[in-house]
Amino acid sequence: MSKANPSIVFTGSGLVCGAGSSVAEVWARLISGETSVTAHERWDTANWGTKVAAEVTLTPRDLVSDRKLHKSIARTDMMGIYASEQALENSGVLAQREGLGEAEVNAFNDRTGFIVGSGGGTYTSNYDYLGLMHETACDLPAFGRELANYVTPMWLLQNLPNNVLCHVGIRQQLKGTNACITNQCAGSVLAVAEAALAVATGEADRALATGHDTPFEPEMVLYYHKLGLLSDATPRPFDQSRSGTIFGEGAGAVMIEHREDAAARGANILGEFLGFACVSEATGILDLDADGEGVSRAITEALAQAGIGAADVGMICAHGNGTPASDLTEALGIKRAFGGSIPPVTGFKWAYGHLIGAAGIVDLVMTLEALRQGIVPGIPTLGELDHRIAPFPVSATPTAPRSNIALLICRAFGGLNVVLVVKGAS
Amino acid sequence: MRIPTGHRRIAVTGIGLVTPLGHTTADTWSALLAGKSGAGQTRSFDASGFTTTISAEVKDFDPESFVPNHRLLKMASRSHGFALAAAAEALADAGIAPNEATSARWGLSVGAGMLSVAYDDLRVIEKYAVKDGQFDAAGLVSPCFPANPVNFCRWQSNAGLGLLTRQFGIRGYATSVHTACASGGQAVGTALKVMRRGQCDAMLVGGFDSMINPTGISGFCLLGALSTDNDNPTGASRPFDATRNGFVLGEGAGFLVLERWDAAVARGANIYAELAGDGNSLSCYRITDSPPDGNGPIQAIHQALGDARLAPEEIDYINAHGTSTQMNDRSECAAMTDVFGTRVAKGGELRVSSTKSSLGHLIAAAGAVEAAICCLAIRDGVAPVNANYAVPDPDCDVALVTGAPQHGKIRAALSNSLGFGGSNSSLVFRHPEYPEEVSR
Repeated sequence: MSKANPSIVFTGSGLVCGAGSSVAEVWARLISGETSVTAHERWDTANWGTKVAAEVTLTPRDLVSDRKLHKSIARTDMMGIYASEQALENSGVLAQREGLGEAEVNAFNDRTGFIVGSGGGTYTSNYDYLGLMHETACDLPAFGRELANYVTPMWLLQNLPNNVLCHVGIRQQLKGTNACITNQCAGSVLAVAEAALAVATGEADRALATGHDTPFEPEMVLYYHKLGLLSDATPRPFDQSRSGTIFGEGAGAVMIEHREDAAARGANILGEFLGFACVSEATGILDLDADGEGVSRAITEALAQAGIGAADVGMICAHGNGTPASDLTEALGIKRAFGGSIPPVTGFKWAYGHLIGAAGIVDLVMTLEALRQGIVPGIPTLGELDHRIAPFPVSATPTAPRSNIALLICRAFGGLNVVLVVKGAS
Repeated sequence: MRIPTGHRRIAVTGIGLVTPLGHTTADTWSALLAGKSGAGQTRSFDASGFTTTISAEVKDFDPESFVPNHRLLKMASRSHGFALAAAAEALADAGIAPNEATSARWGLSVGAGMLSVAYDDLRVIEKYAVKDGQFDAAGLVSPCFPANPVNFCRWQSNAGLGLLTRQFGIRGYATSVHTACASGGQAVGTALKVMRRGQCDAMLVGGFDSMINPTGISGFCLLGALSTDNDNPTGASRPFDATRNGFVLGEGAGFLVLERWDAAVARGANIYAELAGDGNSLSCYRITDSPPDGNGPIQAIHQALGDARLAPEEIDYINAHGTSTQMNDRSECAAMTDVFGTRVAKGGELRVSSTKSSLGHLIAAAGAVEAAICCLAIRDGVAPVNANYAVPDPDCDVALVTGAPQHGKIRAALSNSLGFGGSNSSLVFRHPEYPEEVSR
């Protein structure tokens, strides 16, 4: 069923993050230069090196209308469900299904794939055991005996990394090929790539890709700070004085189909998937190639899969997390791959923080909007460009893309680099 | 986009296992065929107060004797140690490893366990960051809090992936999946797709997990998913038996080396089997249960057969998911019956067994370990036993291998993995000398 050169398109998107819960809301932030990183009140920040975050302020009811579900899943899952259903709804595939007969609906469901990138869980969820540990004074036999009196029987099910896959699946009957990718920051962009390839190779007729995560929690803040990865203020990607990233939270989702299927029902096409690459630097959990070799190799492979040259790329949405080492090696990798002709580079983490497991897919949703608008949002926190990477085409204010093709870079622990190449609708 | 064209035929050329039955493939396989059980009273912590005191532990395991890399192992959790050892064995068995020229064309796909912080790490939180029985964030930034960034990194969702790529120098596609009990199977299926797309020439693929610790086992105890036959550990896991009452939690790792078929043949590699097909569906029914009519698993099996270009009649052995829970085993039998009909009915020529009857349930590692078992079964022409089967269940009246392993050529084998959350993974392995032309 697969064709040699299929046109794989995005027909719906959804997102929620600190900067808003619709594409329009978040776009307004990106253009106005107004960050959603603010002082947080999740816990008392006295004695904490970092007192800010980009929080989602929506309540469980805002995110998921079914109140019965609120007790059986984690907050990250609610965000994943919200973004997933937003993308499904505005793609028009649900309306399309409503018009089908029973046998056709079964076939439709069996041929609808769903790939999720999940943060994988939170440290906080394990704190449900602390009361029991405290009461039993860490006496293990007593801990075992009293377990059911202190911890909900649903604990494991509330915290399954694949809950979004399960619950959106049940609610929307997406029964085709599926996966839950728990690959730290690489998870959500790999979900997009695998969903696109599933459709392109005929494994599914259409597929939803979702990424969700809630990394903003005490132990994450503590240890990212200790590891020198966390700033005390809004991130300043590629700036000489940058000092780290800041956590956000949220989810993003995109619906992926063949262009002819989308066109046949008059769907709104948001953009096209052209190619991707995933490469490892084999450097361990935290270390990075000093010269950006992994980044440049991922870019080169992704462009080859897309069948385009570096000169065709109109803009780059960088990972740009604001940490000293990642931004430096990312910029060096971009320079290696693009030589002297780099298109405008931007990054969005100054606006909604670092969403870790959901970072890449929210960046993708906003990159598609940037291409549609024909505007590359600036990095307003950029003051003085890192001397070691100058010249480098980042700007504090919006610029124009040089074509309607964007390259998106996502980097993760484990020395991973994932690059997507997408084309805008315009 | 241009769909990259890879190589359709993928060979399994290396196997590594660390299981409750042994620290190597040979030890695991011989113990499995000898009918031994990996289950016993839990030894690694005092489980006497828990509703389930038994498990299938990996015993007396020292990762450093398999992977002499002290610095790397300092970053490794228990399950990462299993993974590093099993992966090292698989690569040594295959007789090939990434080098400077090939490393960018080597990939890694793993099924990794869920984030569950070790009890000892949680004790530190309890000691310093609990006020009035509740978590108190202020404790984390008190001067005496013994913050340990190494422990923190160890629990990151892809920490195992990072350690494996580093240890073996894998610089291509690398991914980590988690769909509960289907994780290992899905990791193998993902690798097949990546290789067929030509994104890698060779891949290390597997699963690893270890939840036999106080917090890990608690989640299952609370759910009532584990067998409580504490006085009969070796008989507690009895898939498809009418008296089955839950699974026995296991731990370990399984890894395979996959190569392009032509490349494996060209270098004269020992080929266990062809990884011929992958099927993958979502049940969309309930979070813990698979539907009684098999809707979901049925689609996964059909997809895997179609992907392998095999007819149901060509499958000679099924390594069932067979967890020994009431609902799973019933649903899986309904699915097998739907697809394989009379061949899988009691007395039929198909051979079915759940090796969880001997190994316990290795959760995120299960699908990868059982994929390896299918390859060994094909190599030796023997179907391992479904241990502990005694009382027939009319809902599970399938062609089980009982009593002793059953010998006879296996043209192709199917491995099922059905996860909490409803993900179903089916994999098909074909005998290396059973040609594709015969089938279609």
